[in-house]
Amino acid sequence: MKRKMKRFEGYLYILPWLVGFLALQFVPLVNSLWYSFTDFQLLGDAKFVGFQNYRKLFSDPLFRQSLMVTFQYVLIAVPGKIIFALIVALILNQRLTGINLFRTLYYVPSILGGSVAISVLWKYLFMNQGVVNNLLAVVGLPGQDWLGNPNLALGTVSLVTIWQFGSSMLLFLAGLKQIPECLYEAAEIDGAGKLRVFFTITMPELSPIVLFNLVMQMINAFQDFTPAYVITQGGPLKSTYLYGLMLYDQGFKFFKMGYASALSWILFVIILFFTSLTFKSSQSWVHYGDDV
Amino acid sequence: MKKRCLLTASILVLSIGLVFAAGAKESAKASGDITLRMSWWGGDSRHTPTLEALKLYNQRNPNVKIEGEYSGWDGYYQKIVTQIAGGTAADIIQIDQPWLNELCSKGDVFATIDPTVIDISQFDQSFLDNYCTYEGQLKGLPTGTNVNTFLVDVKLLKESGIDPDTVWTWENIVSEGRKVHQKDSSKYFSSATPDIIRFWFEVYMAQLAGGVVDENKQVLFTEEQGTQAFTYFKSWFDEGIVAPFAQTSLFYQKFQENPDWINGKMATAWDWVSSMDKDIGSKQNIETRKFPVMDGAKNTGVLMRPSQIFVVNNNSANKAEAMKVVDFLFNDAESASILGICRGIPATSGAREVLAAQGAITAMAEKATNEGISQAGLPQSVWQMNSEVMQTMQDVIDEFGYGRLTPQQASRKMIQSLQSTLASL
Repeated sequence: MKRKMKRFEGYLYILPWLVGFLALQFVPLVNSLWYSFTDFQLLGDAKFVGFQNYRKLFSDPLFRQSLMVTFQYVLIAVPGKIIFALIVALILNQRLTGINLFRTLYYVPSILGGSVAISVLWKYLFMNQGVVNNLLAVVGLPGQDWLGNPNLALGTVSLVTIWQFGSSMLLFLAGLKQIPECLYEAAEIDGAGKLRVFFTITMPELSPIVLFNLVMQMINAFQDFTPAYVITQGGPLKSTYLYGLMLYDQGFKFFKMGYASALSWILFVIILFFTSLTFKSSQSWVHYGDDV
Repeated sequence: MKKRCLLTASILVLSIGLVFAAGAKESAKASGDITLRMSWWGGDSRHTPTLEALKLYNQRNPNVKIEGEYSGWDGYYQKIVTQIAGGTAADIIQIDQPWLNELCSKGDVFATIDPTVIDISQFDQSFLDNYCTYEGQLKGLPTGTNVNTFLVDVKLLKESGIDPDTVWTWENIVSEGRKVHQKDSSKYFSSATPDIIRFWFEVYMAQLAGGVVDENKQVLFTEEQGTQAFTYFKSWFDEGIVAPFAQTSLFYQKFQENPDWINGKMATAWDWVSSMDKDIGSKQNIETRKFPVMDGAKNTGVLMRPSQIFVVNNNSANKAEAMKVVDFLFNDAESASILGICRGIPATSGAREVLAAQGAITAMAEKATNEGISQAGLPQSVWQMNSEVMQTMQDVIDEFGYGRLTPQQASRKMIQSLQSTLASL
């Protein structure tokens, strides 16, 4: 009896989570899969239409456009953020007085999160009459239509994402602290230069964290929505029309929930594919300390 | 062991509590009191009087409490539709006129207005027939009369050497209007953002071809007419009537936030009377003018419609009481006086009389409304107001405005895209 109790006790502990997961995540998940095969329009009944939504996707020029934009965005924002986070982490890893203050300050943008307020701020920084153009004017450089020029807008929007490098940076910083001091001492004795030390000791030792950051940031970037929605609404000329925006438009602007559900499942497959690809490739570049 | 039992028990209680938390709420209000919810969008100038009017209703009917759910315009429609779908929408809802058809066509979501509870005799009957009826049934009531207006900055026009009393035509917008940009290259005649250029295009097309899309899902203009319209608007860009899209696209649907408009660098604006005050803000020297109308125009394209519509949720548990509240908001003299013109000039004659007696209708609002009514064209078809159709027009206009399409290409592309969008609806 006692043993039996014990077997269920664990489930009891996770019951609150389980209820939440089932009601708030699992049921909607299954629902959206079902909706993706219907013409559900939010109001009224859903009618089964087979693969029609999925077929429509491949002939929809907007789908291709938003996919292209999203790939570009991921390619700019993810490496940008990781490299930036790494550089800042390396700087903040120095033993300087007051370094803790700087560590806190550099983390601040990430506390603010991908919020609407930040996106609005960005808009005012980069608009024609904004701070950035005014600063450029001071040093005599011509201002740009940062958010109005279709060739520049995506890059400008990506900067918001890159700027919020705090959590990646923190992980790098923790990783840097984990690297055994003796490795550096050995390298010094062998007379290795700074660059050599970085590429043969720091990078391999950090590679598991690079992998983690890469995967997490990639998953986030594919789903990103807020900055593009608030700053440019996908414009100009759909140059910042991220996949998330298209999904939102179809679902909540045109109320084509069936189509939007199909879109989100395709996104799921895309993310799954690139995540597995990254994991697969990691075998050749991620170095775990214990598999010497 | 004891400790573990306690822990287990408390977790059980917690999870059960979670599941039944919703149920507890229900039983709390079983005492004969009614709590209604009303949702609307707007700014503070609308929120404050509306809340006050609702409080007054509560004072007169202590058993009825009305909670306001108010927000800005952004995302309001999405919220309302999601709430309706989820069965959590408020009892009284403020909607925009084009939504009435879109929502009613998807289900029986709004209660039919009961004329025995709400006195509808003070509304203009044709206004109700044209804008608030779905399949012959009155589904909502108009809060006010809203019309298009053409705002001009008298000071900037004078400074640019333009007679501020000019009667505007399509031709002199170009021939006179270009003086603004010629005089000072950082200034423009029009404040139009890409979405406002779409409105101008719709006005032009209404006059030239009667409209863009008709009730039968047909595109109303020919390729030649489209080319003519786009050629005309190309001159707006070429002559510096309007700023390049690269500078204005950031203010899509928010032209009033453009610092160039706020700081008096743009001389005119296409607007709705209902949002005019908010868009003018603290700007001085703004007056209203009539819209240009071409000779032999089929339809002026100047829009007149309800500012908003109040509807009663068909799912509401207290439909009868909700109707009474709506009646109070429209027909009670004291409520009319509190609400003022926070939703435009009221659509009921009684409320207008109350406000006129108080002098609460500003001269500017009155002039703009009268001008608009005198110029008002035919209502747009429900298909032209469809959100996907509007987006289709917008996409072509964006490409045109960025110089990616010639007038002829733009015309051809718009006809083709509209036809394919309309076929999918």
